[in-house]
Amino acid sequence: MSDTAFTVRTMYLDLPAVTTAFGRRLQDAGVPTTAERAARFAQALELVRPVSRRRLYWTARGVLVTDQTQVKAFDSVFASVFGTQEPASTFEPDEAEATPRAPDRSPTMQSREEQGAAGAGGLSSGPPGDGDSEDLREVAVPVAASDEEVLRSKHFDALAAGELSQLYRLMERLEVATPTRRMRRAQRDRRGERMDMRRTLRGSIRTAGDPIRLARRRRRVVPRRIVMLCDISGSMEPYARAYLQFLTCAAGSGPNAEAFVFATRLTRLTRALRSRSPERAIQRAAAAAPDWSSGTRIGDALKGFNDRHGRRGMARGALVVILSDGWERGDPGLVAREMERLSRLAYRIVWVNPRAAASGFSPRAGGMAAALPHCDALVSGHSLDALDEVIEAIGAEHCTPPDIRVDEPEEEPWASATPMQGSSIAMPSGYGPSRGSTTPGWGPDESE
Amino acid sequence: MSPREVTGEAAGEIRHLVPDVETLAQRLASVDYLVDEGLATSMYLSLRLPQPLLLEGEAGVGKTEAGKSLAAVLDTPLIRLQCYDGIDAAEALYEWNYPRQLLSIRLADGSGTKLSEEDLFAPDYLIRRPLLRALEHPGPRPAVLLIDEIDRADDDFEAFLLELLADAAVTIPEIGTIRATHPPAIVLTSNRTRDLHDAVKRRCLYHWIDYPTPQREVEIVRRRVRGASEALAVQVADAVGRIRASDVQKPPGVAEAIDWVAALALLGVEELDEAAVDRTLGSVLKYSEDQELVRAAGLGQLVTR
Repeated sequence: MSDTAFTVRTMYLDLPAVTTAFGRRLQDAGVPTTAERAARFAQALELVRPVSRRRLYWTARGVLVTDQTQVKAFDSVFASVFGTQEPASTFEPDEAEATPRAPDRSPTMQSREEQGAAGAGGLSSGPPGDGDSEDLREVAVPVAASDEEVLRSKHFDALAAGELSQLYRLMERLEVATPTRRMRRAQRDRRGERMDMRRTLRGSIRTAGDPIRLARRRRRVVPRRIVMLCDISGSMEPYARAYLQFLTCAAGSGPNAEAFVFATRLTRLTRALRSRSPERAIQRAAAAAPDWSSGTRIGDALKGFNDRHGRRGMARGALVVILSDGWERGDPGLVAREMERLSRLAYRIVWVNPRAAASGFSPRAGGMAAALPHCDALVSGHSLDALDEVIEAIGAEHCTPPDIRVDEPEEEPWASATPMQGSSIAMPSGYGPSRGSTTPGWGPDESE
Repeated sequence: MSPREVTGEAAGEIRHLVPDVETLAQRLASVDYLVDEGLATSMYLSLRLPQPLLLEGEAGVGKTEAGKSLAAVLDTPLIRLQCYDGIDAAEALYEWNYPRQLLSIRLADGSGTKLSEEDLFAPDYLIRRPLLRALEHPGPRPAVLLIDEIDRADDDFEAFLLELLADAAVTIPEIGTIRATHPPAIVLTSNRTRDLHDAVKRRCLYHWIDYPTPQREVEIVRRRVRGASEALAVQVADAVGRIRASDVQKPPGVAEAIDWVAALALLGVEELDEAAVDRTLGSVLKYSEDQELVRAAGLGQLVTR
């Protein structure tokens, strides 16, 4: 297909072959294309008889693309098959969804490249054995991570398979149930509050038109949607893997769950996590979130969520679970603003902070202090046992707001970013401080 | 041959009305709906293949209007189904006319005639809701069925729509399958509050409507607000573009631009200035936070000279 003049002829003579090949390329690029769609594409070409590449583009896009997020991948495949990048797609996909972008930058390859790069000049794993390295790390990363946004992709493969599946099996027993809400739709119920005219009258024919048995209906009660936002920044690293497992369990629990991860940007994982194999789901999650264990921007992430998803209805009446330690690299004022917005939309907000387990915990992290007034519950969830509390907080119909005195956030929260005793020791094996690349300075004997 | 295929008279009518993409675009323009090539192609394919068209886009970019305009071009009734949480078959498709059934039972009882269940559940006793009305449209041109904001309905309603979308048919247990003689042109809209099921998407053409270019927006606004000066329309399109580019929670759509120009025209404003923006900001920005944000940045920034 090097000669343009021949391209046209080939298409004319061998339409099915071209459409099938194009469909296959799209499939490889992550745009699901079925034989049915390929056939429809051929049919559409017959109808439109594209006179220009532009017309061909819109015809193909109208038939083959089923979601706005696929447009980028579609554009690049179209350009590679039918020539130059014309027409420039007129809109920017508004969210970084877990969709592979293009064939040549598939997540796996991307992550391998970047892992290599990170391995060569990795900067967020501080010098091991240094007692103060937590502080150093917390200060050192933002400059690099926020300004350049060093995107690092981490492979979960690094985690021993046995540990992962062991933890998953344990977590599988957890049942995440959310409070219920009443739908408009009704279902049959003998003691329902509403009359079911249809059934009553139908039954009355049997008794010569006298409605003897009254059929009733009751408003259907369904569990509320659960939206989970998990912090996967550097400071959350020891927990993020376990929490991601938790997300997988909860997201797999039904169609009414949504999962996101954030560090410097928000990534939607719902689709990636909703698969039968949790190991694969976590791998996909790692591939989809290139900012794995970089700096945190809770405010930006919350704003992104509110703007793109929450306002449109995802958060409305939903139960929002935020899993984060509340270390905010950006402006805590933004966290407060966005939390307020979120609290107006959501039914309830549960904040899971692994550091809350430490005795004498006070929310001194800038983001946590700013967010606390808008949270309905604050739980620690630092261990598998503690996750039960999380589930309880999620399922509770009513709960009392967290009774924790909000200290004045300190001027330099990073200077006081001391790991708290006991906050991570109860984690299942493999998530503790001893692992090579995880945060140094987390051990109970290493703190100041 | 797909069951949705239109044959005979109806196909001829449509082919005559919209022989190609350009003609459709022109006809849509003649009813004051301006489309770009992408949307025109999708709408054309949706009519001719024929296949339901799923439109997504930000609020106020003209998704619903696309359905209305298509009905105007085809000169057929627009049958609109507004979806909402908990909508079910009784509200979307059909309901039995219970009072009438009861009356018939009493009547049969009184006159001693025999009444079987089949008599009672006959088409005479059917109350036709939008979906059924669209299927039973007598033609010759197909009706336009607009299923608006399908993402508001719960997901089992989507499953309920599958038969309609794929085969232009619905099944009523008491009567059987009702197949459209003139399959309606179906337009679905969604605001993306949730992902639609793949099964629905598989049966539809998909188009994402983006904000129009400033030039097109000026044209749209001028067509919708008669008597608005070009200068005002250009200024408003420009200001709306700036607001969209800024950090507002709810970027104004084309609908808001039209409302704004209409408001300004009503107030007799010939040219946009800071005072005029200040008085009418409520017709573009519907969140107080957004208004504060724009005010803080300076209303003068929205006014171009």
